[in-house]
Amino acid sequence: MDLDKLLEVGDLCIHPEPPVCNATCPVHLDVIAFINEIEKGDFKKAYKLMEKRIPFAKLIGKICDHPCETVCVRKDAGGSIQVSELEKLVINQGYTAPKKTLPLPKNKGKVAIIGGGLSGITAAVDLDKKGYMVSVYEKSNRLGGRLWEYESDTLKKEEIEEELQIFERQKISVTLNTAIDQSRLETLEGDYDAIFIGTGDWEEKLEINRESFMVGESNVFAGGKLAGEGTSVIGSVSSGRRAAISIDRYVSKVSIMASREREGRFETPLNYKTDNVLRVEKINKQGDYYTEAEGIAEAKRCLKCVCEDCITTCSHMQRFNISPDAYIRQINQSERIILGTHYANTMINSCTECGLCKERCFLDISMKDVIHETRESMVEKGKMPVSAHDFALKDMQFSNSDRFSMVRKQPSKEQSKDLFYYPVISYSKYAQGLYKGTGKTGYLFYPGCQLSASHSEYIGEIYKYLVGTMKETKIDGDVGMYLGCCGAPADWAGRQDLMQENIGKIKDVWKEMEEPTFILACSSCASIFEKYCPEINTISLWEIFDKYGLPETKITPDRGVLNLHDACATRNNPKIHESIRNITKSLGYEIKEFGYSKEKTKCCGYGGLVYYANRDQSNDFVQDRISESTEDMLVYCAMCKDLFVEGGKKTYHILDLIYAKDLTSAGLQKTPSFSERHHNRAQLKIDLLSEIWGEKQTMDTTNELDFSLIIPDDAQKLMQDRYILFEDVEKVIDHARKNDEYFFNPETKNYLAKLRHENVTYWVRYEENGKDVIVNSVYSHRMEVVEEP
Amino acid sequence: MNSENEKNTPWVCGKCNSKLELQKVKVTYLGGSFEVELMKCPVCNFVFIDEDLALGKMLEVEKGLEDK
Ligand code: SF4
Ligand code: SF4
Ligand code: SF4
Ligand SMILES: [Zn+2]
Repeated sequence: MDLDKLLEVGDLCIHPEPPVCNATCPVHLDVIAFINEIEKGDFKKAYKLMEKRIPFAKLIGKICDHPCETVCVRKDAGGSIQVSELEKLVINQGYTAPKKTLPLPKNKGKVAIIGGGLSGITAAVDLDKKGYMVSVYEKSNRLGGRLWEYESDTLKKEEIEEELQIFERQKISVTLNTAIDQSRLETLEGDYDAIFIGTGDWEEKLEINRESFMVGESNVFAGGKLAGEGTSVIGSVSSGRRAAISIDRYVSKVSIMASREREGRFETPLNYKTDNVLRVEKINKQGDYYTEAEGIAEAKRCLKCVCEDCITTCSHMQRFNISPDAYIRQINQSERIILGTHYANTMINSCTECGLCKERCFLDISMKDVIHETRESMVEKGKMPVSAHDFALKDMQFSNSDRFSMVRKQPSKEQSKDLFYYPVISYSKYAQGLYKGTGKTGYLFYPGCQLSASHSEYIGEIYKYLVGTMKETKIDGDVGMYLGCCGAPADWAGRQDLMQENIGKIKDVWKEMEEPTFILACSSCASIFEKYCPEINTISLWEIFDKYGLPETKITPDRGVLNLHDACATRNNPKIHESIRNITKSLGYEIKEFGYSKEKTKCCGYGGLVYYANRDQSNDFVQDRISESTEDMLVYCAMCKDLFVEGGKKTYHILDLIYAKDLTSAGLQKTPSFSERHHNRAQLKIDLLSEIWGEKQTMDTTNELDFSLIIPDDAQKLMQDRYILFEDVEKVIDHARKNDEYFFNPETKNYLAKLRHENVTYWVRYEENGKDVIVNSVYSHRMEVVEEP
Repeated sequence: MNSENEKNTPWVCGKCNSKLELQKVKVTYLGGSFEVELMKCPVCNFVFIDEDLALGKMLEVEKGLEDK
């Protein structure tokens, strides 16, 4: 994995960029944090945040000319947030006298400050804190300069004097009634390491660098009005502070300008969109100051401007409380660890790879791609936790084994002659299709492993429909059938090895069958085919329904309103979106679109194998989507349906609307367990072979058992939660009984048996009652116990 | 690792009918192996792991090793 490239993507993300108020504030008050504290009613903490950024916060906070308010994003939606009023409130309610600090040795150098106005006193105090011996020269009889112009009922003389006492406390040398002119300056230059001029005006024109505040190439610096800050109070103090930094760097002989790009006002790349912002009028203070309640109400109006477009629609980033920039840093760290714990593993395996983040990001940052690449890299380095995807990969293996997988050409006329008496006077469309068989396979129906597991009852019907329908299309050729798994689990798990092997097999079949068009009924299959074998032509079953007509079904108008959930794997497949909508309308339903649909649809929670790697995370996605629905839901992916129904939502698969015998119960049909899914697939193959191809497949696995297994509901639930299959349980008990290998509890008359199968040890606790074996509990572990003396 | 694998377990080895004893046992995972004390049949060495242990401490160690 190219980590430098990864970090570049992370740097693109503007999530950490400040709001415009903060960027415009010359001392960069963290406005959002400040406002958050006010909302919480913690005025002390809010004041601390002011103190951290604003010099002489207690004074400046009352007289700041608040450039932040001019640019506030709320401006046209009820009025700018009145940060200046909030600062006054916070001073009133949250001011705490600064803690006494131990005096530092003042040995870093000597600095003269000419002019004790706003910029001068700021530079003086900052340099004193940095350990300089500072001497202030002021031409009038007091420090503070323009501060005194603001003396009033709200900024009292005593307050100004009290704050300026810092000069005495810190023993900063102050010489009043002393004007320094150009000639005096020249004599001072040699006595001091650096000089700061903050006098407002100066007899000679000074060449002041607006970034460093250095005058020409000398040890003289200048700020305030001289440096172009005009009458801005906050601009003046900011220039004093920044000049102090330059002086410190100059005296310490380090680069003056290195990484100071964002010290003054700057343009933030954050461009907060206000399209969806509701207008809220600003809160006017009733007295001289905001009351706490007024301040809190004003604080609530703040939009807390930040880019989180992708986060607000992603249950994954929300669960891990992380933004893309931080996520990428964590991946980077995790990828670099050689020895030590990879803390980010669970997170990385909890992304559904749904791709919504990229759709939401105006910079097209795709966490899906980043996370997918990370998973592949983890697999390559042997750092992918086995348990995360093991079960799903074994399920895929099952689907591609003889138990389910099969490829058949359309039965020939000869083959099907027992099925239909010949000549048939009025034969069905299906029979007509069979009789027209040409021997060349033009289409291969590939229903996929999950639809075959959840809705095996529809597969044969669909196949017959296709045989009957496709004969009428221009494309010459029969419709064959191919059962198997496209390999999506391997892709999601980052297992390129398995993925390539699987896709290789699919391509072989395709070539052997003379390159037929695949008819797909699963959205994951569609995206896998597109990603790994674009040379294979595919068409979705839904487009066929739309184009060539629906199977004969009772269509009644006004059947109701459904919320249509698009499968996330179809995000970039508008043809599917359109045909599904057309079919649904033809079937007599009205569609109510979700706010997030089509290319902006959400994931049901199955994607990325999150259902296996982090069930809680998967549930977040399920519940998030269900909470957006107001009607019964309609889906066209088997896993979407199973998850939503499991989450308690009445959900129809589009095939239910066409084929279900009892529609009401179809919408609530219990999700088949993992064991049932296996069974349904295996049984489907047996049934299809016998009904359509007249072949017999024997279940080679049905070995003769001398007991009958009874699994009560709660034990079945444990099996499902713990990824244990019926056949695993059967094997454990069979082994125990045949080999007398079990533990026995004489008190409860329970047996406890175990058996290791591949990389898992399965345990079953059961009771016996004659020939009946009643399962009480099941569990497993991956660690292997070496059983030797 | 021996948490709830209580010493006074009522479970006995079905084959040998003997009481289980706490003994050092070798376990392996992801290529690493280490010794832990587990209950087992002293006669046939059949090792006992109860539900709490498998889904508690043992799972924790497995996850810990997987994230290494
Ligand atoms: S949408 Fe997400 S990824 Fe894109 S810039 Fe904003 S926070 Fe970053
Ligand atoms: S709404 Fe709040 S965060 Fe946004 S610019 Fe205004 S004060 Fe700053
Ligand atoms: S791919 Fe989906 S789940 Fe993953 S980070 Fe993006 S939006 Fe979230
Ligand atoms: Zn024994």
